[in-house]
Amino acid sequence: MKIKATALAQGLIRCHDCGLLTKISNSSDICSLCGGRLHARMPHSLQRTAAFLLSGYALYVPANIFPIMTVTQLGKGEPHTIIGGIIALIESDMIPIAMLVLVASILVPLLKLVGITLLLLCVHYHWQVNARLLTLMYRVIAFVGRWSMLDIFMISILVALVDLGGVAQIIAGSAATAFASVVLLTMLAAKNFDPRLLWDYQR
Amino acid sequence: MRKIHFDACPECDALLNLASPAIGEKAHCPCCGYLLQRPRKQSIERTFALSIAGFILIIPANLMPLVGIKILGNSNDGTLWSGVIMLVQENMWAVAILVFLSSILFPLLNIILSLLISAHLYFNRPNHYLALWMRCLQHLEEWAMLEVYMLGIIVACVKLSSIADLKFGFGLYAFIALLIISVMLASSLDRYLFWQRIGQARNEQS
Repeated sequence: MKIKATALAQGLIRCHDCGLLTKISNSSDICSLCGGRLHARMPHSLQRTAAFLLSGYALYVPANIFPIMTVTQLGKGEPHTIIGGIIALIESDMIPIAMLVLVASILVPLLKLVGITLLLLCVHYHWQVNARLLTLMYRVIAFVGRWSMLDIFMISILVALVDLGGVAQIIAGSAATAFASVVLLTMLAAKNFDPRLLWDYQR
Repeated sequence: MRKIHFDACPECDALLNLASPAIGEKAHCPCCGYLLQRPRKQSIERTFALSIAGFILIIPANLMPLVGIKILGNSNDGTLWSGVIMLVQENMWAVAILVFLSSILFPLLNIILSLLISAHLYFNRPNHYLALWMRCLQHLEEWAMLEVYMLGIIVACVKLSSIADLKFGFGLYAFIALLIISVMLASSLDRYLFWQRIGQARNEQS
């Protein structure tokens, strides 16, 4: 599918912030309504997205290997990884919550990384694809990104509440930093990807 | 300035005739399905009212305890801030900053900016900074994650329920109310209308 007339082909730029259409001119690249910089397409969209994405992949490994928190109960310390926490939830018969955490902290980050990779490959190799479907996928990726912060917020609450000295204590582990970075980096990757590029190379 | 009667889709760049949907209708891009416009009833008035309510609620939601626990006679309360403080004490700076920004600072800024913009538009006081505030608001919106934090509270409580007695503080009710207000705020704020009004205010000024 191809768009009959794009704004760019007609010499118009839509301001990214306020949506005002402006004629492309050499004299000014500042939007007259909001003062933002005008770009027909996001500058260096692919490079920036790829950079955030690769860092995200790199940090996804330590995020899953290292313990995300250490639970100490009556002097006995026990490190938990993300998967370990889910298994503990299943063992204590809290299947719906376990599924929720599984989706938010393992499946969503992984599918986001793979999904953005697919979007980048499509644009870079000018693959002929269903741009409408991929735009929809981009929207889903951009929407679900923030929900992966669930695990980080949960740890922040647990750390604050379970601070009872020798009786029980929860301490955040090194994977928390890695996991938080993965969420942040994939959100930035999605934000820097310009879905209009998907439509540009469709014949 | 000559008025251009076209619009472009921000996600596929299709050049479109400017739509003017009535209140309650939605305008979608015919190529990619992007939601272009969704006019709301009394958008400015409602945004103004909701942001005042949010501004009041943010104080108890931040300062009062959300959840308290009790294990073997030892009890402890948790507020929005205590998680951040504990993470700093454990030297988890990066996580602490991220939690602080997305659960405390950005929701606060979001409400303050909505309040400033809607108040200026409601009382018809054009201001040089309106466009800047509106741009900041749009960029901040996705980084304020109150609803995700709420889900975090629920999961944490479920995890703790087997080993501890839980009690819910007044802060939690304020937090839930704040969450509902901020969701309503996001849906009542009609970006297209706001930018139109900011443009009009600017033209009147000059």
